Amino acid sequence: MDLLDIRNLTIEMDGPHGRVRVLDKVSLQLKEGEVHSLVGESGSGKSLLAKAVIGVLNPLWDVTADRLWWNGKDLLAMTPKQRRAITGRDMAMIFQDPLAYLDPNSTVAEQITEAIPAGDVTGTFMHRRIDRKTRVAQLLHRVGIRDHDAIMQSYPYELSEGVAQKVSIAIAIAHRPKLLIADEPTTAMEPSTKDQIQRLLGKLAVSQNMSVLLITQDVASILPATQRVSLLYCGQMMEHGDTETILNRPAHPYTDAMIKMSLQAHAELDPKSKLPSLPGAVPTLRHMPIGCRLGPRCPYAQKQCVKAPLVRHREEQSYYCHFPLNEPES
Amino acid sequence: MTRYLMTRLFYFFLALLVLSVVTFALNWLFPGDPLTNMSGIREGQTAYEAALTSRSFDSTIIQQYLNYLEHIVRLDWGLSLSTGTGVWQDAATYLVVSAELLLLSFLVAVVVGMPLGMLAANYFRHNIDKFILTSAMTGYSIPVFWLAQLLILLFAVQIEWLPITGQINPLYAIDSVTGSVIIDILLSDSQYKLAALQDATLHLILPVLTLSSLPSMLLLRITRNQTIEVLQKPYVKAARARGLSQQRLLFRHALPNVLQDVLPQMTFIFGLMMANLVIVEHIFNWPGAGAWLLKAIIERDYPIIQMVLFTLMALILVLNLLVEVYRGWRFPMTREERYGGY
Repeated sequence: MDLLDIRNLTIEMDGPHGRVRVLDKVSLQLKEGEVHSLVGESGSGKSLLAKAVIGVLNPLWDVTADRLWWNGKDLLAMTPKQRRAITGRDMAMIFQDPLAYLDPNSTVAEQITEAIPAGDVTGTFMHRRIDRKTRVAQLLHRVGIRDHDAIMQSYPYELSEGVAQKVSIAIAIAHRPKLLIADEPTTAMEPSTKDQIQRLLGKLAVSQNMSVLLITQDVASILPATQRVSLLYCGQMMEHGDTETILNRPAHPYTDAMIKMSLQAHAELDPKSKLPSLPGAVPTLRHMPIGCRLGPRCPYAQKQCVKAPLVRHREEQSYYCHFPLNEPES
Repeated sequence: MTRYLMTRLFYFFLALLVLSVVTFALNWLFPGDPLTNMSGIREGQTAYEAALTSRSFDSTIIQQYLNYLEHIVRLDWGLSLSTGTGVWQDAATYLVVSAELLLLSFLVAVVVGMPLGMLAANYFRHNIDKFILTSAMTGYSIPVFWLAQLLILLFAVQIEWLPITGQINPLYAIDSVTGSVIIDILLSDSQYKLAALQDATLHLILPVLTLSSLPSMLLLRITRNQTIEVLQKPYVKAARARGLSQQRLLFRHALPNVLQDVLPQMTFIFGLMMANLVIVEHIFNWPGAGAWLLKAIIERDYPIIQMVLFTLMALILVLNLLVEVYRGWRFPMTREERYGGY
């Protein structure tokens, strides 16, 4: 059974100009221990998807889904309290700007201690105290912080960005979650820190047998350990499947464009030649195209594209397109 | 922390010094002859010339100021012009009476204002929030002197639940030792202690209610706004994503961060209360420093005016210092923001 099973998740909100569908029938499956990358430009709804799973969406928004299952249990049918219990026990999330996501007025030790489940430490008061302290030090070691004594007493404003992200990972893995959602964890970081954090996440996924849902903006910064990739555009799922297959033989024009963009950024360009990119810009929420939302920007679009394409499968990948690329020659 | 402490102390003493200059200058700013203002000896009286020299009016103004400072340090504020007794000796009980009223009202303001503010923020834009905010605006807009009279009319005159004025029914014959009624009752050996305590509490209700109305509403609004802001901060979102309950979010994560910015406002609110103290004490015939100050102003008893003004303002400064030190210790980030280091 899949750990996380999302079928046709739709999120609608009432904006100043009427009802907007910010997430349009998105499906996603995540197996236990799987590292899954969710790629999409800003505004594509990838963070919304994560929030819907964690259960921290604005209660005024409409969330409907054929299925939003966690380990076979329907998350949407639960009371907020049951939902919180599951979130607190099995899920964890880290964010893009770690310094802003740590409480500025508690020390690192206090914040990690809070995340350690109460059942983990037993005995008398003093025992529990010492136990917690060792647990905090262990967690810091596990995320690659050697100097645990100094870091434990620090406040977030005293930490560098990389260390702060490691601390928030330590907080996230303190209760041994089954799923870690990483919302653009390395977007604004310098390359060496970025590399460290990415390696750490890959290592933790294996050693803790933890699924990771990594949310990124471009194909280039998906984790090396990623097994499956999904691409979102304007709240619609474009393509998902096995990393190898998707990167080598993308079926969807959007995937193709994303890969080309990230490759070309490093390749040499002829003078005055244009950077490869899709024409046009991401539509605003007010002016969402009907049918396939990539339609107006897609070089292969035809009349049919005003109808939303159904999912199609090809070996290890699924895509939502009427005119797929790289069709195998039969 | 040491550097922070030293800086705060430095500013505290600097402010005290400025304050002493102002009270010293009052002698010359009051209408009339400065010597008469200070001592009550009029020009033309035989002692006038002698007083001029003994008060070193013939030396420079700097020398006079230094003498003045020395007297302040010795708590020698001179003699009251109307009663002839030492100002500081009289002041002790008056100040304690006021302190009791102030502290109780402040406590009520904090206990009422902050939880209601957080409650309103928790139900931001819901009916509970709107109701609390509207009541707060109403309470906030009523002038203190009018509110006091309304409360007296309602609770004391119409339904006769509470006494109109005074600290305690004089028939209980409690001697004023410290000035604070409650402490006096506890210290006394009266056989009707419990009844006296009840009577004193009933007397306290209306003044405390009046004095705490404005600060509690102010505190409510400040707390509400700050809580709303903090609840939208990323770290609260992160805590929510960890599956924590709303109560834990509010008290463990939001409250300390709200306090960080509400604490400095408390000094300001305390200052406001000092201003209203004078009015409330006068209306409820409360024998405190505020009423005493008002009486001194009417009687042109300048030494008392100087002393009470200086003491009340110094109290605000002390409170400010305490708040700043606590804030720097509990919220190290504020130190960083201000001085870029320890």
